[in-house]
Amino acid sequence: MSGILLGGIYALMSIGLNLIFGVVKVVNFAHGEFLMIGMYIAYWAFALYGLDPYVSLPLVALSILALGALTQGLIINPLLKTKDINQVLATIGLMIFLENLALFLWKSDFRSVLTAYSAASISMGEIRLSLSRIFAFAVAMSTAIVLYFLLTKTDVGRRIRAVAQDAEAAELMGIDHRRIYIATFGLGGALVGVAAAAMSPIYYAFPTVGALFGPTAFIVVVLGGLGSFIGAMIGGLIIGIVESIAGVLTNAELAKAFAFAIFLLVLFRKPTGLFGERARV
Amino acid sequence: MSKKRKFGRGWATFLGIIVALALVPLLRPPPYVTHVLVLTLLFAYLGTAWNLIGGYGGQLSLGHGAFFGLGAYTSTLLFMNYGLSPWIGMAIAAGVGAGSAALIGYPCFRFGLRGPFFALATLAFGLIVVELLTAFREVTGGSLGIFPPYLGNAPHLFQFASKEAYYLIILALWAFIILLVRGMRRTRYYLVAIREDEEAAAALGVPVRKYKLLAAVISGALSGIGGTFYAQYFSYLNPESAAGLALSVEILTVAIFGGMYGLMGPTLGSAILTPISELLRIWLGGTYLGVHLMFYGLLLILVIIFMPRGVLGKLEEALKRGLEF
Repeated sequence: MSGILLGGIYALMSIGLNLIFGVVKVVNFAHGEFLMIGMYIAYWAFALYGLDPYVSLPLVALSILALGALTQGLIINPLLKTKDINQVLATIGLMIFLENLALFLWKSDFRSVLTAYSAASISMGEIRLSLSRIFAFAVAMSTAIVLYFLLTKTDVGRRIRAVAQDAEAAELMGIDHRRIYIATFGLGGALVGVAAAAMSPIYYAFPTVGALFGPTAFIVVVLGGLGSFIGAMIGGLIIGIVESIAGVLTNAELAKAFAFAIFLLVLFRKPTGLFGERARV
Repeated sequence: MSKKRKFGRGWATFLGIIVALALVPLLRPPPYVTHVLVLTLLFAYLGTAWNLIGGYGGQLSLGHGAFFGLGAYTSTLLFMNYGLSPWIGMAIAAGVGAGSAALIGYPCFRFGLRGPFFALATLAFGLIVVELLTAFREVTGGSLGIFPPYLGNAPHLFQFASKEAYYLIILALWAFIILLVRGMRRTRYYLVAIREDEEAAAALGVPVRKYKLLAAVISGALSGIGGTFYAQYFSYLNPESAAGLALSVEILTVAIFGGMYGLMGPTLGSAILTPISELLRIWLGGTYLGVHLMFYGLLLILVIIFMPRGVLGKLEEALKRGLEF
């Protein structure tokens, strides 16, 4: 059961990465660092102004939206016409930069948001579930629903989907794909921001927290299928459950190594992921 | 004929540089300068090793830290547990580096992983190595790391009291790798063809998979040798600093900044970046951690956008323009 809740959080954390890959066709290696910055914003909003992470959630989402849009506008767009290796290298540079910027600004201390409900839990029969994890799971589900309507029912959403399917054809229809890319990267960032706010009552914020969760997000996305939403949700659940079980059976490092090994196997055998071909953005 | 003369001049320059660098210890530089020179040559060496698969081959590896770290741990553990001289350990480290590169390279090339997917796979491989080195703490000392015993001056055990000896060894390794990569002419041409267009190269009869694997394995072996040197020089290893992602990124930043499309690019990159990052580390490192990596990250982004061919590429452009006058 706690594996399912963990999976919901992992799914929420990965949707943004998936959206960006599905539309812009860029693997954002700095994804985990976006999450880390978001968690710090949630932390400071709490530490300085006493804002509950669920109150500061829009602020966090907007900040990471801006970060994402800037990344696309300043870094990825100038590289669109070059080899995809260059875009990968640039986001790796961004990853290292952000991680060490955080280390520079805030040292390697662990900081946590302690809300009234951080330690609270509810019992269902034999099982005890942490309240903040249930909240986070609820946020994950509602975010997925909001995103679905955003993409299918709004104009921007339709444009994003058009560009995702065929950027050139969309261009001929009068859609500027560079601007749509900026919007998409921003939206992907906003989704990470939501995840960061929802995770901040549960996890510590520290400079390398992105390096901890980033690879997990890649695993979830690759497992579920790049560019597929349902896949990301299911991939999140699978990894959440696997990690919970492996964590009980063995030590933390081996559990991590095990998860990465699964990731490699999926990458080798089925780079499109479990749901890659069927589902679309 | 004019081509031949140019060729001869290149050799003379190279030999001149080697001799000049080999004479540096006679000037009795302060230990710190020697240290920076050792690091500069080490990263020039590692960058050149990375460049074989990453630059010429265009396969973006994030796993070189792991090949390096496995080499470092191999010779060190063999020495500490079985008393095996690290000189022999270095040869085994090369084998381990080659083997680990084959372990991740073979399935990647077999299943056609390219671009970001190859980068992701090597990233995951590197993370697995760090987790495993941490997990088996009875053997590796876990995240606290290991300290090989210090024996004073023991040349047969790859230990020296003076930094100058290490300097001369890394200088020799650097000269070796430059000559080796330079000599692999056919491999380099094939790799460049693969980088530019894999399908076209395959259609023209380039054994794509074989040459990618060859480059990865040689690159891994050379990185493993570098790992042994590092372990002997620093006498301290921990999983994150000897095998982590940050190390991989440092290596590739040096290569890309200098120019990944030329033989001397990584060396040029290291000659510029390593002293700067060492200075940053001294000035700010005590109070601010990670400052030199922040600089590397930013630099990587800027180089990719503004001079994807690196400093070497810019120099060549400038020279060409100069000739047009």
